[in-house]
Amino acid sequence: MITVKNVSKKYGKHKAVDNISFKIDKGEIVGLLGPNGAGKSTTMNMITGYIEPTSGEIEINGYNISKKPKKAKKFIGYMPEGVPLYKDMTVKEFVTYMAELKGVKKDQIKESVEKTLQDTWLQNVKKVLIRNLSKGYKQRVSMAGALVGEPEILVLDEPTVGLDPKQIIEIRNLIKKLGKDHTLIISSHILSEISQICEKVIIINKGQLVAIDSPENLEDKVNVENAISVVVEDKENKMTKIKLRNVKKLELIKENDDSTKEYRVVPEGGKEIRNTLFTDLANENITIFELKKAEASLEDAFIDVIKKNEKEKEKEEQEKLEKAKKEKEEKEKQKADKKIEKEQIKENKNNKSKKNKKKGGNK
Amino acid sequence: MGAIIKKEVKSYFLSPIGYVFIGLFLLLASLFFYTDIIVAGSTMYSYIFSSLSVVLIMIIPLLTMRMFSEERKEGTEQLLLTAPRSITSIVLGKFFAGLIVFIIAVALTSIYYIILMFLGEPNLKTSLVTALGFILLGAALISFGMFASSLTENQIIAAIISVAFYLITWLGTPYLSSNLQAVGLIDMFNRFINGQIAIPEVVAFVSYTIVFILFTIMVMQRRKSVK
Repeated sequence: MITVKNVSKKYGKHKAVDNISFKIDKGEIVGLLGPNGAGKSTTMNMITGYIEPTSGEIEINGYNISKKPKKAKKFIGYMPEGVPLYKDMTVKEFVTYMAELKGVKKDQIKESVEKTLQDTWLQNVKKVLIRNLSKGYKQRVSMAGALVGEPEILVLDEPTVGLDPKQIIEIRNLIKKLGKDHTLIISSHILSEISQICEKVIIINKGQLVAIDSPENLEDKVNVENAISVVVEDKENKMTKIKLRNVKKLELIKENDDSTKEYRVVPEGGKEIRNTLFTDLANENITIFELKKAEASLEDAFIDVIKKNEKEKEKEEQEKLEKAKKEKEEKEKQKADKKIEKEQIKENKNNKSKKNKKKGGNK
Repeated sequence: MGAIIKKEVKSYFLSPIGYVFIGLFLLLASLFFYTDIIVAGSTMYSYIFSSLSVVLIMIIPLLTMRMFSEERKEGTEQLLLTAPRSITSIVLGKFFAGLIVFIIAVALTSIYYIILMFLGEPNLKTSLVTALGFILLGAALISFGMFASSLTENQIIAAIISVAFYLITWLGTPYLSSNLQAVGLIDMFNRFINGQIAIPEVVAFVSYTIVFILFTIMVMQRRKSVK
């Protein structure tokens, strides 16, 4: 459905997006994840045909967005970052204009607009000027603009940014509803959101693609050590002194106000230790308040993956620097060697000419 | 294109700009009607346009300065450029919307023609030819104003670029070279006032207009890969 092939975007020397490739199939809900400035919006702007990639190709349903923009854009509804809207229009006027722009047939416009307004719960404000709406409503109007005309693909750039918790839940429900019959691409730097909605996550950092996977798999990747989180009441502070079976590492996470302490327990070789831990602690008269598997959140996965990526980059850069240094040294060595050789040749010549002179003198 | 024209014309009148433009235009027209025709005791309706052509330089940017600048600043450009529309149809849509508002203003000056009919016998043919020339002049000015607006996201800068260009093509051309006087926009318009349709001037005005429409399309297309 959407194919992104080796796409890069350069601004001068700065690479906003660096050689990204991925595929999105019909009906998938995909989260585009990354820290601020990672290149999420740039990627979305390229997919929707707002900007042209410096190199690489993007195809929407088989149509190249640079070569057949009109046909490719017909499949896409785009909600850009920062919710740009024509503020002098009423909600209904705006949605109608978007329908007209998208080339919805004249006799279907009214119906399509009404349906969209209903789907986005905007019926009661349809005659209000957009400039007088609250942020949550504006976000919904922007989404209605993307939704009208029933495009197959919806691209939503940070749809919940700047909303209050109630509005976030509303928008999230709306997105879930839309996900049933659309292909969705959502960007966000809020991870809980992505893990709740998306089936697939694409993580981008510094313009490069870091990982593509389902949220569950990403979480599993991080929690390979099978760590346990335990909350205990330990008045005599025995926890750190006693020996627990099969435990590799014990860290204090935090001390609660009610004099209980939370520890993170890492077992040896990823073993299941909840059983032994329970009996060990009971034997030492340490009361357990809570005992559970430490869940790795998508958040951990995200930070983990990005840290790894950055470390690799640093390594590469260091290697490069070292290489460059070595090369420089070698060059200097070679130069020095050459100098010595030249000097030797000169000396030889001098010697020869002296000898020749001597020979001549002899004659 | 139709959808864009409709929306653009509408938005001139949703914001005060459409009213300000037409109001200012008619205020000046009535002033010139009094000084050039009533006071002078003339029935030459076309004199209004001859005086108006000079002030047009100052008020056309009201119509054009926001065309692309505002969209760019507000980000609504993203909605427009990701819709399944060609850049050509977007640019033409905006151009014709501006032209339509201008033509509405010109059409409203026919009130003075009607008043003149009570006072004397104005020449209909001369008046229509002058109005045609005036509209062609307007189209050329609007197309440059639109081009200026596509260059910057600041409306004021767009307006200043437009006025500067208009002044150069009006006052500047004779100073630069006597040969250039013929291509000064206002000079070209003045050849319509005697009631003869000047074909070379019609061609020149239309070419002016088309060139700057093309330039605008090029700027918009280029921005796609630079942005």
